[in-house]
Amino acid sequence: MDPECSRLLPALCTVLADPRQPVADDTCLEKLLDWFKTISEAGSSLLLLQENPCLVELLFQVLRPQDLSARVLSFSLRLAGIFAAQEDCFQYLQQGELLPGLFGEAGPVGQAAWTAPTVRSGWIQGLRSLVQHPSALHFLADCGALDTVFSLQGDSSLFVASAAGQLLAHILGLSMRGPAEGLPSLQAPDWPACAQKIVGHLEESLRSTAPPQVTQALNVLTTTFGHCHSPWTRVLWERLGPLVACLLEEDPLPAAHSLVDLLLSVARSPVLSSDCGLWETLAQTLRHLSPTQAGPLALGILKLQDCPQALRAQAFGVLLQPLACVLKAADQAPGPPGLLEGITGDSVTVDTLLSSKSACAGLLCRTLAHLELLQPLPQRPSPWPQAPLLGAAVTILRFCNGSAAPASDVGGRLCALLAGCVRVQRAALDFLGTLSQETGPQELVTQVFSVLLEHLRSPDSSATVLKKAFQATLRWLLSSPKTPGCCDLDPHTQLFLREVPELAEQLLRDPESYVRASAVTAMGQLSSQGLHATAASPEHPGGQQKSLLVELLRILSEDSEGFPRRAVMQVFTQWLRDGHADVTEDTERFVARVLQAASRDLDWEVRAQGLELALVFLAQTLGQPGSHCPYAVAPPQATLRSPPAQALQALCRVRLFEFAFRALFDCDRPVAQKSCDLLLFLRARTVPHSGPQEAGGSPDVVSVEAALQRWRAGEQGPPLGDLEPETVLAVLRSMDLEGLRGALAESSDHVEESPQSLLQDVLAAVGVLGENQADCY
Amino acid sequence: AGQDVGRSCILVSIAGKNVMLDCGMHMGFNDDRRFPDFSYITRNGRLTDFLDCVIISHFHLDHCGALPYFSEMVGYDGPIYMTHPTQAICPILLEDYRKIAVDKKGEANFFTSQMIKDCMKKVVAVRLHQTVQVDDELEIKAYYAGHVLGAAMFQIKVGSESVVYTGDYNMTPDRHLGAAWIDKCRPNLLITESTYATTIRDSKRCRERDFLKKVHETVERGGKVLIPVFALGRAQELCILLETFWERMNLKAPIYFSTGLTEKANHYYKLFITWTNQKIRKTFVQRNMFEFKHIKAFDRAFADNPGPMVVFATPGMLHAGQSLQIFRKWAGNEKNMVIMPGYCVQGTVGHKILSGQRKLEMEGRQVLEVKMQVEYMSFSAHADAKGIMQLVGQAEPESVLLVHGEAKKMEFLKQKIEQEFRVNCYMPANGETVTLPTSPSIPVGISLGLLKREMAQGLLPDIRKPRLLHGTLIVKDSSFRLVSSEQALKELGLAEHQLRFTCRVQLHDSRKEQETAARVYSHLKSILKDHCVQHLPDGSVTVESILVQAAAHSEDPGTKVLLVSWTYQDEELGSYLTALLKKGLPQAPS
Repeated sequence: MDPECSRLLPALCTVLADPRQPVADDTCLEKLLDWFKTISEAGSSLLLLQENPCLVELLFQVLRPQDLSARVLSFSLRLAGIFAAQEDCFQYLQQGELLPGLFGEAGPVGQAAWTAPTVRSGWIQGLRSLVQHPSALHFLADCGALDTVFSLQGDSSLFVASAAGQLLAHILGLSMRGPAEGLPSLQAPDWPACAQKIVGHLEESLRSTAPPQVTQALNVLTTTFGHCHSPWTRVLWERLGPLVACLLEEDPLPAAHSLVDLLLSVARSPVLSSDCGLWETLAQTLRHLSPTQAGPLALGILKLQDCPQALRAQAFGVLLQPLACVLKAADQAPGPPGLLEGITGDSVTVDTLLSSKSACAGLLCRTLAHLELLQPLPQRPSPWPQAPLLGAAVTILRFCNGSAAPASDVGGRLCALLAGCVRVQRAALDFLGTLSQETGPQELVTQVFSVLLEHLRSPDSSATVLKKAFQATLRWLLSSPKTPGCCDLDPHTQLFLREVPELAEQLLRDPESYVRASAVTAMGQLSSQGLHATAASPEHPGGQQKSLLVELLRILSEDSEGFPRRAVMQVFTQWLRDGHADVTEDTERFVARVLQAASRDLDWEVRAQGLELALVFLAQTLGQPGSHCPYAVAPPQATLRSPPAQALQALCRVRLFEFAFRALFDCDRPVAQKSCDLLLFLRARTVPHSGPQEAGGSPDVVSVEAALQRWRAGEQGPPLGDLEPETVLAVLRSMDLEGLRGALAESSDHVEESPQSLLQDVLAAVGVLGENQADCY
Repeated sequence: AGQDVGRSCILVSIAGKNVMLDCGMHMGFNDDRRFPDFSYITRNGRLTDFLDCVIISHFHLDHCGALPYFSEMVGYDGPIYMTHPTQAICPILLEDYRKIAVDKKGEANFFTSQMIKDCMKKVVAVRLHQTVQVDDELEIKAYYAGHVLGAAMFQIKVGSESVVYTGDYNMTPDRHLGAAWIDKCRPNLLITESTYATTIRDSKRCRERDFLKKVHETVERGGKVLIPVFALGRAQELCILLETFWERMNLKAPIYFSTGLTEKANHYYKLFITWTNQKIRKTFVQRNMFEFKHIKAFDRAFADNPGPMVVFATPGMLHAGQSLQIFRKWAGNEKNMVIMPGYCVQGTVGHKILSGQRKLEMEGRQVLEVKMQVEYMSFSAHADAKGIMQLVGQAEPESVLLVHGEAKKMEFLKQKIEQEFRVNCYMPANGETVTLPTSPSIPVGISLGLLKREMAQGLLPDIRKPRLLHGTLIVKDSSFRLVSSEQALKELGLAEHQLRFTCRVQLHDSRKEQETAARVYSHLKSILKDHCVQHLPDGSVTVESILVQAAAHSEDPGTKVLLVSWTYQDEELGSYLTALLKKGLPQAPS
């Protein structure tokens, strides 16, 4: 520990132990614990306590009957736990009978302070830190703390209840480690005492008729199987698995969510996944759960690496069922044979869908979200039923906006339930967007385009639906054939390709800045895909493109909000990277204009993005050797070649140096940092063999350095004008960029965040901040 | 905000709907602890499925700071409601904070600008007193809360159950905002902030006069005044205060406000002028209060100018950026002054100087000696104890839950509320759940036929005398209707089943069954004069729906068995008659 901190520590402990001195800020106690934890992890806690006896005194203070605040009591419990995590320190504290006094029955457990959740939380967190070694396990068994942990599983505080469950899993894992490792027998007497007690408690809970108790047991087991993959967990499952399976026989199923979590956690465990009985239990559970509950389990099963094909098919069937019902209700064929076959007529699913509006919306939204998660995964089922899924999404959207007229009774009722249901519309549009990654039968794609256009044009669409429709539309556009206006496209698609960019262009002038920003990004992407020029007349090909560049430059220099300007910078950087036609026409002019606009911007992110663009230009101009990262300062010497003089001339012409030099002293640290990196990269590429040296002292160099001084002082000053490469190189050589980078890399509050500063603050705040502390903004 | 004034984030489950109230962050932490731990909301499934909506009460970061994290990093994709001004100003503060966070730690594990943008696109803006239908069952309504521009209290209603969440509010108008107001909406629960649970705030006038006096004195002696503020919010109140004072006293010293923000603030205050108080609205046509004559945009070069000046600079706790730069320049001169108008978290220079530290270590082991005067002058606008009681009285809730305050002070207010209003008051700690039983009233439609029949009985409806109404309850398409049983049968296409009670009564009578029946008939006829008693040809006797038949006893010829049966409707008469027969028949002349 820092000597200065050591000096302050006794005063801190006195303040903490004094009930008349309220500690000003509860974050201070948290930060103190962080600090002690760091110290303990780095060295011996025993030594720390021996060198700073005030800490042990503080812990003893807690044992004395006095009106100590709940926060300090909680702090002390956690602190004791941190120290006792090391076995020698644990023994040291045990000598004074300190630990039973804190964590045993004589401690806060039986006192009035226990009613404060923060004390219970401190107690359990203290124990969690403490239980790291065999001595701690004996202590637990002796002091009766386990029973308290059991009861805290049902605590009124979520934090305490959850921590209690986690602690039990941790204790179980720890006690089975060591001598019991390997394969213990199924018989309880062979198990260590703590493990016996916990497993007994779990068994009892699983047999309980009270759902909360069952849930608690399932959660402890989920944590255990999720975190521990030792062989003994197999024995544990052999012992408790049958009890879990028994739960399936109950109606209604208790704690269905927790059961799903547990089964998936067991299935993911490498020790247990080869168990055939497990797959049977999973299959049985899938059949047992209601359609709403079964979704997460089905998705979890499909994500598993090794799982019997039959179970995968069953799980996929469960996921698809609600959509199959929708398709059937719309009197549509459920797709090519073999895809949705056999899962079309599940009456339970239909009943759920028709039971109420919220149940219907809930099931459909969940189903769509699960399939959306599944779609991009490599282990998704193959073949993927793209066509029926597209059909289902379109049908749902038509049910929602009232443009469907199903003849069937179920269809009619679904229509009534889903009419205007914004939640389902949003989910279906998201799903439709995901499906754009793959194409489908032309007829269906046409339907997709038409339903999307319906949503975009409809005055009834809510704002959030409109947004989702637009996003889905863009995804389809950007992944659809890149030959717009192609004569083999049907009229609908052609219309679509023409209308959407027009719509996006209108949104560039939307009153809402977020919308303008998104429109900028969309237009940038569309243009990159060559989809923006569709409306241009054949006589002036590219006429529209030009105007987009001009329009984006206008936004960059005129828009009053940061979001659209940042979006423009991102589009421009991407265009430069991709060699967009408008950029390559006159790259230097483009870069010069953008940098000029960015340098004047008040938004630090625009300036930082300007440096990003400058870096791309730099790499393109100087040529990037191999896969060398632009931020790496010292590339291998062998790859270095001096850049041609004209490359440096080009950088001078676009005024990249002035931009970077100004940014170096930017009042916003991230900008300065980025500029520093850029200049270091440049120096490494241009003056590889020379370290910092005196600048030549030419008049140009002197004037540049004078300007740098002014900028450093925060003055604006006139522009530098045209610079010669030699001048720039000389200035670069003379600068201590490494030193600057080191200074910038430190966080701006590293001094205030130091432990010493923390101790000073706690001590200084005593008795001063009383009145201010609750005063929040 | 359970028993503390940290981040506010409250989850309410009401009649099957789940609503998150505020999504704040804790400014005192730089790691994950600054955000609420959302993993506690639902262990399984997506938040979007679990939550029906998120409501943000106002733009302060302890109420909205975790929103981009929640929506873009944790993955909530459902609707977010806030008022128009909050929607406009929220991203400015988020950007401000993001800038500081990035400045301190780099971009790691913090939301990006893009995320703020995407998050704000999910927002649905609401107007005051407009009932917004989140879905078919859940509706919300915003009320004016004072505090800062756009701050609102929200009523959340599902069927007949409702909750009101106040966010932060102020019950007394100030220079630019009005006082909070709410209907007598009698919610099941009122969740109210309690920052000043035990304080009866001193007169605002005194505080303002004190502030102006201190600024004036410093400027008069040629000193510079630094006022660190957050970009928008209470800063505008102070600006109006100084502007008016400068005008009145004809002062010449310049007042500056951080670059870029004055314009922005002006823009929003003009845009949302309807949210300010009456005086500002009235004078707006002649003179916009937010177009300041004396307050100019600040350039960082101005800090070195000689002579007095007043500078409003961000951020508010002197933890980075411009305000800290200016502070470093001015701290060494005892003629200068810094006024902290709000609370500062530990780890900031603001916190240090407020706790009286005068030698501050700066970067590179340099020590900055603070010789300038340091003042704390709270301008936060929360309701005091009196104001909170006033609001409880206004809304008349069935129970009250205190948040956003300190445990000890809450305890005091809780007792006061329970005594004065005779309602339960709760003050859960962070992570604790409070469960309130409600008795929801279920609206039922009554058929015209049934009502007419009731009216025919002659009694006029009287609101003070509840009446029993018999009928059949039909639940169809989640609506409830009470109709007459005939109509129910007809509507549901059901046949009527008759339920009859039966009873056997034994009589000592050795005569023939017919004679016993005749004796029963004459007995009843003589007693039940108001009823229609009949002797049917088959020998049985009827009184209304009650049927009495006499039969021989299978074993004892001296005993006859009377079989009595009656319908549910004649239950009273049936019981009476049975009791009567059990007493036996009068002696007949032999």
